[in-house]
Amino acid sequence: MILFSLILIPLLFAALLALAPAAQARSLAFLGMLTSSAAAVLAMLRFDWNNGAVFANEKTFPWLGELGIQLSVGADSVSMLMIALTALLGPICVVASRTAVTERHRTFFGWLLVLQAAMYGVFIARDLILFYICFEFTLVPMFVLINVFGSTNRKHASVKFFLYTFTGSVIALAGLVYVAKFNAELPVSATRESLAAMMQAGGTPAPGPGVWTFDIETLGRAARRMSSTEQAWVLLALMVGFAVKVPLFPVHTWLPLAHTEAPTAGSVILAGVLLKLGTYGIFRFAIPFVPAAFAEYAPLIAQLCIVGILYGGLICWVQTDVKKLVAYSSVAHLGFCVLGLAATNATGLSGSILYMINHGLSTGALFLCIGMVYERYHTRSMKELGGLAAKMPVWSTFMIFFTMASVGLPGLNGFVSEFMCLLAAFQASSAWGSSTTMVEGAMDAGLWGSAGASTVGATHGGLGPWYAAIAGIGMIVAAMYLLLMVGRVVWGPLVEPHGHGGHGGHGGHGGHGGHGHDAHGAAAGDHHDDHADAHGPLPADLTAREIGVLAPLAILCVVLGVYPKPLLATLEGPVNQTVQLIDSARSMGLQLEAPAHTTSPAQGGAPTQGLAQ
Amino acid sequence: MTHGTLSLLAQTGFPASMAQATLAHYVVVSLLMFVIGLIGFLTRRNLIIMFLCTELMFQAAGIALVAFGRFHLDYTGQTFVIFVLTVAAAEASMALALIVLLFRRKESLSAEDWQELKG
Amino acid sequence: MIERLAYLWPEIALFIATCVVMVMGLSRTYATRKATATIAALGTFSAAVLSFLTTPDGGEIEAVSGQLYLASMVPYAKTLIGAVATLLLLTMAGTVDRAEEADIAKGVRSFDPLRSNRAEFYAFFLFSITGLMLCADADDLIWLFLALELTSLPTYIMVAMSTARNRGREAGVKYFFLGAMGAAVFLYGFALIYGAVGSTNLNEIAVAFATGGISSLGMLGVLLSILGICFKIAAVPMHFYTPDVYEGAAPQVSGFLAFVPKTAGFLSILLICGAVGWNYVIPPDGVSPLATVMPSAEGTQLPEVLRLTLWVIAALTMTVGNVLALLQTSVKRMLAYSSIAHSGYMLVGVIVGPGIAADSFSGNGVAAVLFYLLSYGVMNAGVFAVLAALERAPGRDGEPREIETISDLKGLCRSHPMLGWPMVICCLSLLGLPPLLGFFGKLPLFTAAIRAGEIPLVLVLGVNSAIAACYYLKLAFAPLTEVADDADGDPIVAAPFRTRAAAAVISAACVIGLALGGNLLMQGARSAASYTEADAIKSRVPQANAAPVDRNVAAH
Repeated sequence: MILFSLILIPLLFAALLALAPAAQARSLAFLGMLTSSAAAVLAMLRFDWNNGAVFANEKTFPWLGELGIQLSVGADSVSMLMIALTALLGPICVVASRTAVTERHRTFFGWLLVLQAAMYGVFIARDLILFYICFEFTLVPMFVLINVFGSTNRKHASVKFFLYTFTGSVIALAGLVYVAKFNAELPVSATRESLAAMMQAGGTPAPGPGVWTFDIETLGRAARRMSSTEQAWVLLALMVGFAVKVPLFPVHTWLPLAHTEAPTAGSVILAGVLLKLGTYGIFRFAIPFVPAAFAEYAPLIAQLCIVGILYGGLICWVQTDVKKLVAYSSVAHLGFCVLGLAATNATGLSGSILYMINHGLSTGALFLCIGMVYERYHTRSMKELGGLAAKMPVWSTFMIFFTMASVGLPGLNGFVSEFMCLLAAFQASSAWGSSTTMVEGAMDAGLWGSAGASTVGATHGGLGPWYAAIAGIGMIVAAMYLLLMVGRVVWGPLVEPHGHGGHGGHGGHGGHGGHGHDAHGAAAGDHHDDHADAHGPLPADLTAREIGVLAPLAILCVVLGVYPKPLLATLEGPVNQTVQLIDSARSMGLQLEAPAHTTSPAQGGAPTQGLAQ
Repeated sequence: MTHGTLSLLAQTGFPASMAQATLAHYVVVSLLMFVIGLIGFLTRRNLIIMFLCTELMFQAAGIALVAFGRFHLDYTGQTFVIFVLTVAAAEASMALALIVLLFRRKESLSAEDWQELKG
Repeated sequence: MIERLAYLWPEIALFIATCVVMVMGLSRTYATRKATATIAALGTFSAAVLSFLTTPDGGEIEAVSGQLYLASMVPYAKTLIGAVATLLLLTMAGTVDRAEEADIAKGVRSFDPLRSNRAEFYAFFLFSITGLMLCADADDLIWLFLALELTSLPTYIMVAMSTARNRGREAGVKYFFLGAMGAAVFLYGFALIYGAVGSTNLNEIAVAFATGGISSLGMLGVLLSILGICFKIAAVPMHFYTPDVYEGAAPQVSGFLAFVPKTAGFLSILLICGAVGWNYVIPPDGVSPLATVMPSAEGTQLPEVLRLTLWVIAALTMTVGNVLALLQTSVKRMLAYSSIAHSGYMLVGVIVGPGIAADSFSGNGVAAVLFYLLSYGVMNAGVFAVLAALERAPGRDGEPREIETISDLKGLCRSHPMLGWPMVICCLSLLGLPPLLGFFGKLPLFTAAIRAGEIPLVLVLGVNSAIAACYYLKLAFAPLTEVADDADGDPIVAAPFRTRAAAAVISAACVIGLALGGNLLMQGARSAASYTEADAIKSRVPQANAAPVDRNVAAH
């Protein structure tokens, strides 16, 4: 029941909030977030971390049995980690929005709570339709947050965000329903008489082959029995849906726009959790459902990732908007994350999941930092900001710290996961498999522990050192520019927008009119003024509240950078299970389809081209 | 004429000699009436004419029904026609009422004069 | 024939209500006149209850007469018709005689029965609903024709009298003329079917088609019938009237048009398609067929010509409706085009038919159509109820005007939360966003089509859902996220009819509530779409080598 309460608590508080006066909205929202986070902590305390692959708290209630839909929840260690990330970022977003959101409090905090519930729902769903419902429903709150509280171009950004993701997930739904159809047409395991008796009694038969159900476990087992053509098409459908959410290269265009326009809390949630819904979806559905097809097309996916990494890195060079820059670096980072998945070995999968957490922490924190500057200067343009170290030493420290974490400085969290993804891509080739032992040896030397150890020996992925090399270069490009940006904004000569010189970072807003921060900038300024009367102006450097927001993230960055072993240990279960699925699918494919190997590219031609478009 | 059309007519006994009227003759007449009505409805703009065209289509169906009823030696067709006539009468009264309503406003019977709604 | 009465109690109740309403609406006492709406609502509500309680289900009627075709559909369809009609009736308050009654209340003039339209309006409403219910239990082409006409004829007049302005009259005339043309087309189709088979009884037609094959004459008849009925459901070749008529009529009447003729059309299409195709093999052991029983490939689908025609109509209808809806700024025109698109979605279910997994809701296209009709009826009533409940305050000409553009809806959640939120919820549901009713309406269409292997059609459906998202998004979020710009014209106020807002709120509550607890309704839809033994006769006939139908039987 505790997992259900994760969905119910935020919804309950959102309902309360709708009825409460607007002045209470923020505190009520904070209370709601804290309560749900407490429930999440309770769930984590009861979770058996040594058996990460076992779904804890698995509960099922009947819902729409006619359609095979059940209220079924459960969490393994991957889900638990994602829940932990969500539970951490939720309250932080409420606190961080204290001064940033100045009007329509109930709208903002109410939808933030709804969003939190939907995100929990995605991670705990054990029924496909329940998953899909939560996956889709994240769109509405996020749409409202961007559309109402975003900056100048918010309407366009929100609509683009909604339509891209909605279209993608409708196609993914078609793929998922196809799997359900396949399952329903399998021979029934139970006797027909008993099934017929159950149907006549009005009950719904237990999920299994031959029964119309959306139970994830059952469908996964069924899907793996599909023919390779079917698997390829299902993979295509699923990848369209999840690639938009991640976002992978050709369908990423909504992300920078949405990030730039979203309010700070929206950006944090978007980068921290929402993007992970895509990678989580790939890990949870695309790989276990159609492992053979995924292994077959992994190189293609990896190529898309690499294009995305290079593209994201290069495009960073022409950005002057700090937030947009971080957004594009996110495209590159998520490319890494999926690259790890596409490596289809244990190192890659654990690295990728770790990457989801780490990216959520460091990029979320970067967006928070940028939001804090934006609140003071109402600009995010690098031309108008510079040398802030003199004015805001504390902020500058945090900014540099999180940038380092993001670009993967050894000792901080980004490094571990990035290295693992790269390494996995490097290893994932049959030709080079033997020559990776040196690196394996280094891994076994004990820094990251057992997850790496299990990969010694055969890794069959279609990737290779070239993938790793190019991806590494792309990452360096992005990292260079991220560092350059920080260098310019933090050090160098002090540059401030007009009207901010001299006094404490909060002054006449009349000055922005000419800086491309036209109508909305001015409007935000006005609200800010109203607000300043109530709370006093923001000081030049960070307040205690803002430090309190950033500090936990910073601590976690260090902890996960230095000692990621417990996480990797608990991920071992689910990751190894998934790798086994891939390996067995691959070996079966080698046995069965060896003669057909020449025809398989032609069969797969259509889907792959579709994916590339 | 395509094969489909020919076989369609053949089903009704066409071609037949003119000496006796067969089912085919009735069906062809009714088809012609129906098509003429349809074309008239789509091309004419006078409301009364348009209404008469729909009446023509209704009566075409009536002729077909009676002819088929006779062919099948079955009274259902004729029963159907009685109902069709009743409904056609109801539609006629309604059409005239609506046309009078419009005529009072604009003194015109042309559909072109009523373009307040685009499309 | 007396057994058929068992089916007609709801219609009888409606007819009694109609008679009472016609008399009461002419009373000189205001209270009596005012009670007409209540009586009418009682009529539809009791019809819904009676349908639920008294209509025998398929098994029983087989015992009684063995005749009625797709019999198990009847109680479900009629209950849903009665329920949605009650909802629609709530939106109708004050549609006619508003200025009249105001004058009478002010004492400007006394009541004049010749000038009052109230009695006729409610009577026409009830007549139309009666016709719709009769469509559901039609088993004969004559019956079906009369029921369709009884459904449509009153709607022409309702459109014309719904607003005092010329637009309404023009819309009424346009609707009538095209409607008469459509009626002539399906009537001619019925005549050809009769010619090919020699019977108007749907059961006999089904048996004849199953035993003797479908002649080209019969197929032409079927195609013409479906083409003519396309007018009722506003599907592609016959959809041109929709935006104009919806725009010209008062919003509550447009909402009525989007549900009542459409439902009548779909019930008829189901009946006709069931007579032509979907032959269905009952496994020899008599156990209800599970998915594992693969019937022979032939006979589980419609004849190829018909299937192809419907396929094209469905794909075009969805696409045309959605694409043109994108271009609209007028709310009612947008909803009109979207109503075209929704017909396209439902046609997918018709194409699939009961499918090979007919006893499960997820595989049965007919059940999906029936459930979608219910969910569309509820969402649609909610949206139009909101439009009906809003108006621009009377300006210089002293008459309140209805709202037209999407920007009129801006900021509605703040100014009128009880109207704004239903608008948001119903629009998101029309968009098919989970977990609202619209999603659970569309999902079975999706699953049924995929189970039947209609993957290309599913993709068309999916892409269209995405296109639909573009304009529904505008409509759904204008009340929620935008801020009202009160620059132009008179302020937008709530119309002084509480029941319209109540209808909106009830619809929104149903959209959420039925989604969360819709299992029973889905069960109902499934058993409504399941074949009875009587329906299965035709699939047995070929094996049993039954004698051809005795043509003289029907005549006696």
